[in-house]
Amino acid sequence: MSFSYNIQNRSKIELLEKRYPDKRALILPLLWLAQKQESYIREDAMQYISEIVELPYMNIYSVATFYTMFRLEKTNKRIIEVCRTLSCELNGSEEIKKHLDDNYSEDFEILEVECMGACSGAPMCTLDGKYIENLTPQMIDEVLNAN
Amino acid sequence: MQTKIVSKNFEIPLSHTIDVALKNGRYSSLEATFSKKPQEIIDIIKQSNLRGKGGGGAPAGGKWQLASDYEGTKYLVVNADESEPGTFKDRRILSLDPHLLIEGIIATCYAIGSHTSYIYVRGEYEEFSDITQSAIDEAYEKNFLGSNAKYRVDITIHRGAGAYICGEKSALLESLEGKRGHPRLKPKSPEPEFYFGEPTLVNNVETIASVPFIIKNGADAYRAYGTEQSPGTLLFAISGNVNTPGVYEAEFGVSMMEYINKLGGGVKNGKKLKAVIPGGASTPIIPADMVESARLDYESLRGLGSSLGTGGMIVLDEDASMVKALKNLLRFYHHESCGQCTPCREGTSWVDKIMNKFVEKRATKEDLQILKSVSKTMNGKTICVFAPAASGVIDGFLKHFESEFLECIK
Repeated sequence: MSFSYNIQNRSKIELLEKRYPDKRALILPLLWLAQKQESYIREDAMQYISEIVELPYMNIYSVATFYTMFRLEKTNKRIIEVCRTLSCELNGSEEIKKHLDDNYSEDFEILEVECMGACSGAPMCTLDGKYIENLTPQMIDEVLNAN
Repeated sequence: MQTKIVSKNFEIPLSHTIDVALKNGRYSSLEATFSKKPQEIIDIIKQSNLRGKGGGGAPAGGKWQLASDYEGTKYLVVNADESEPGTFKDRRILSLDPHLLIEGIIATCYAIGSHTSYIYVRGEYEEFSDITQSAIDEAYEKNFLGSNAKYRVDITIHRGAGAYICGEKSALLESLEGKRGHPRLKPKSPEPEFYFGEPTLVNNVETIASVPFIIKNGADAYRAYGTEQSPGTLLFAISGNVNTPGVYEAEFGVSMMEYINKLGGGVKNGKKLKAVIPGGASTPIIPADMVESARLDYESLRGLGSSLGTGGMIVLDEDASMVKALKNLLRFYHHESCGQCTPCREGTSWVDKIMNKFVEKRATKEDLQILKSVSKTMNGKTICVFAPAASGVIDGFLKHFESEFLECIK
């Protein structure tokens, strides 16, 4: 089935169209809505966006591949992102990553990411985008077993 | 030691909701704002010498004037793409006092003659930008925003998607236009930025959040804090090997060591201080003996061969490996280079790979020379300051801690 936005997203798009002076500015918001709707950005979603903003598919693909948070492939796993940048590393992010890899890699996609702006809560990770800070291996076990 | 201007309401429960915000002074500066002509507001900001709080430290009033001098459609873009390692202050404003930011946006738009503002928030801050969006919705309901407001302003949150370079203002605007976040060439003479060809003011979240205090209390009240050249306060952030990492507002010019000990709670586990990266990962590291004399203002840190940057300090204790720390940062630069300029794209990749050899203690003397040479090549030969910043980071580590790198040579 070819991609289209659901009713809720179509009304969001209508509102957004009034907020920008040029349709091109809708590319990032439309990519986010497509990803939220399907959990990743399908190729036909990019085709659909190119029609809305009246630009070639290449422009959409170029943007979608530049930004690290856009997912172009489907995953059935929940996503954990572990911050690996300096304040987190100084506070033990390597141990956290190892604990996750050793115990949860079958059920979760575990990624290393650059600074998430949570250095006072180092080490930290996100679970499905939600911040979890001041991590210890025990805390990870508790959080993941409760979720 | 804490001085609370921007962070005054941070500790108040539910400070992000409009009823609590109104009870605690939010939107109270608007009466003073609208009682003055736009140029008078710009003059107050100039007199206050408010400096941009996103890292550059340029005088805000001058930028406002540049945007104001143009006729026709104009935009205000608030830079909330806070991605500099060690920096996490704007997140506090977005989640704890978004109405302060909205109040500042209204005043700034009025001053420069804009009716449209975008808050460009880094993609990772979804839950914090949701809080800000709720506050914007409330502000529309109370007619502080929208066509029924005393001065019409519309605010739209625009979410980035994970690219550090989009914190650079021209890359941010490219991204806001729906393109890859590639920085633009800089003009020779001062001019505003342009969004879809229209003059645009780009200011950091904390800069805009400082505006209501200045308008309400006057330029002199703001200048009563801080130093002559760096007036006012900053939401300094502290992290790394300290006991109480966090965001604590303080006057410019306070002693860095006192800040670390009193607000940061001192070095963790009773260890000795080895070094501090003073203002986000892009600012050159300074060793402990220099930290003793450092003060938290633009001029003091420049005098020590570093920079205040965003004010986000990363503290390293005596056990920290400088080789490993530099490796960590250079991997960041390699990952985040936008790839537009060859010296940056290739250079950051090269130095990242060389650092693997140092970490694994299989580097040669030639590797050290290549590291220095590539660093030199990256500096001053690119469109934006990303590569020069990486170069400054390398040079800082080698200047103060070269012996640790020599120990890794086989």
